[in-house]
Amino acid sequence: MRFEHPFLAEDDRLRIHRESLRILAEVGVRFLGQRALPILERHGARVDRETGIARIPGELVDVALRTAPSSFVLGARNPAFDHPLPSGVTSYAIDGTASFMTDFETGERRYGVKRDIEDALRVFQQVDLGVMAWAPTCASDAPSQTRPLHEFVAMAAACSKHGQHEIYRVDQVPYLEAALVAIMGTEADVRARHAYSLIYCPVAPLTHDGEMLDAYLDLGRLDLPVMIMPMPVAGSTGPASLFANIAVANAEALSSIVVFQLAHPGRPLIYSSATGTVDFRTGGYLGGTPEMGIMSAALTTMGRSYGLPSSSAGCTSDAREPGAQAVFEKLVTTLPPVAAGADIVIGFGEIEGDQNLVLEQILVDAEIARACGRLVDGVDVAPDRELFDDIVEVGPGGNFLAQRSTRIAARSSEFLVPSLSPRAAHEAWMELGRPSIYSNARERVSAILAGPFADPLPDATAGELERILAAADRELA
Amino acid sequence: MSQELIAAMRQSVVDGDPDRAAELAVQALAEGMDPLVAIEEGYVPGLRDVGEQFSCGEMYLPEMMLAARAMQKAVAVLEPEMAKTAQQRQVTGRVVIGTVKGDIHEIGKSLVAMMLSADGFEVHDLGVDVAPERFVAKAQEVGADIVAVSALLTTTMTGQRTVIDALADAGLRPGVKVLVGGAPVTRAWADQIGADGYGEDAVGAVRVARGLVGA
Repeated sequence: MRFEHPFLAEDDRLRIHRESLRILAEVGVRFLGQRALPILERHGARVDRETGIARIPGELVDVALRTAPSSFVLGARNPAFDHPLPSGVTSYAIDGTASFMTDFETGERRYGVKRDIEDALRVFQQVDLGVMAWAPTCASDAPSQTRPLHEFVAMAAACSKHGQHEIYRVDQVPYLEAALVAIMGTEADVRARHAYSLIYCPVAPLTHDGEMLDAYLDLGRLDLPVMIMPMPVAGSTGPASLFANIAVANAEALSSIVVFQLAHPGRPLIYSSATGTVDFRTGGYLGGTPEMGIMSAALTTMGRSYGLPSSSAGCTSDAREPGAQAVFEKLVTTLPPVAAGADIVIGFGEIEGDQNLVLEQILVDAEIARACGRLVDGVDVAPDRELFDDIVEVGPGGNFLAQRSTRIAARSSEFLVPSLSPRAAHEAWMELGRPSIYSNARERVSAILAGPFADPLPDATAGELERILAAADRELA
Repeated sequence: MSQELIAAMRQSVVDGDPDRAAELAVQALAEGMDPLVAIEEGYVPGLRDVGEQFSCGEMYLPEMMLAARAMQKAVAVLEPEMAKTAQQRQVTGRVVIGTVKGDIHEIGKSLVAMMLSADGFEVHDLGVDVAPERFVAKAQEVGADIVAVSALLTTTMTGQRTVIDALADAGLRPGVKVLVGGAPVTRAWADQIGADGYGEDAVGAVRVARGLVGA
């Protein structure tokens, strides 16, 4: 029996929905930028042009939820990695946009560069549960005005799975469009395949970044799916109760869905979230907490209740270094959204509140994810699992090791075999050099990076992308 | 009566009750109390009490912020009266703070602003998406000791260097000190762009700010 837990009773889910509608109608949401307010006003929202606040009636939310697709295929540059949403099992993205990277060779904590994006995604390419690439760190070696374009291209070059990233400005749009067409072949292919998407985070509380939203609305002409990821932090940028913070996050998500659907009805969306809690001592952001896990699960439940592909942040940790704290916090923040049925959890590879990319953590997180998936799969209660004949045959005393059913079980999915956690007896483990889950992960990362580049872009495409980036660097200076 | 009123002022800050603090300030003026006395002997000790309890972990940030808010509301009542007699309250320093142009993230900046205010700094908060010239203009207008510049993105943190350059071009450096902070900001970055201080979090920022003004 599969273990699923929505973390919200049906009545509470309805209450949160009503609270979110109340927030949208009475408090409103601020939309900076040029494009959103006219769209909302045209469709009946009450817009105050001076404050930029739109009060959105529930009817508009209903319209938007009706046109938002309940399913679509996350395409990939390599169609073998196409992934349907919803999918029935939880898959994963690599985490994104960390400012820092722990250098794999030296251990130095430094700003990320393009090469780190490439290395991390080469590792992620090999992770079975990984379906969605994201630029995991910043390309601090790229000019700031075109940095997200460089990050987008580095991601697409290094990983042939579905790619999601962001841009910040309207003037970056033509270059992103040109890059996507260069990769996919034609504009029609970009639209039809949905191999690349955008991640959109409102600025909590209840504010939409103008330039970013305007750019994403422009990119509606290519039907690029959008993952909507509100991020209120309970106690600082969100109200200080989980219930209210969930309601604010949901309101931000609904306001985003409204704008995107009014502008382009039927545009694919993924409902997501990345909440947190405040450290009451310092005011800092905490992402590795049980409360975050709970809110992720509750918001996954909200997204699913709207009939949308649903995702949330998970695998998050505030640990300053890889180790025990990282592992336990990542487990605590991953299992709840998995149990709530998230289609995608985001994501592998980062610590320090998603600010520090650690290559070996990508694989350790995949190990945690496999364990969470196994937990949620629960007990297989099919009649052929009763094994009564075996119990009769073995009887009191004896053992089941040589039973045929045991031989089958050893290779089945009913018993998870970890990839990285060492299981040798103590002296054997000592003789092996005392391996750990992390040392085994590092060995695996080294092997991947020493190996051939998997699924590279054709040279001509890579050359065209370099030309597009060079033009962007020149023209957007 | 006057001592009771002073004690009540102090308590209103400890309780983090801005409305009560303002009410008592109005009462103080009505009773002819010198507004500077009200601030220095009533409200500031309350803030000091809260600061001590915060330092030893008995009070949390929300309590500090509410205490600062209570202080601000009281000062807002008392300062116009002080202006009539050209009195000026003693402040730890004068700070202009904002988030750089192109960045609308507020929370870190607001936290630092509140903590500085709680520590006795006079704080002028310019908000978010602030052009360098606004930092310069405000610093000139108020006679700032410190300009504090926040950025949350690696793409916007270059704006911190731009503010430093703008202050230098206006002839305000090195007299006006620059304090930088934000999630992607490091001490090395601060040194690289010529900032005078770096705050890793709001509590750290206050410590650095005090150092910059010699407090």
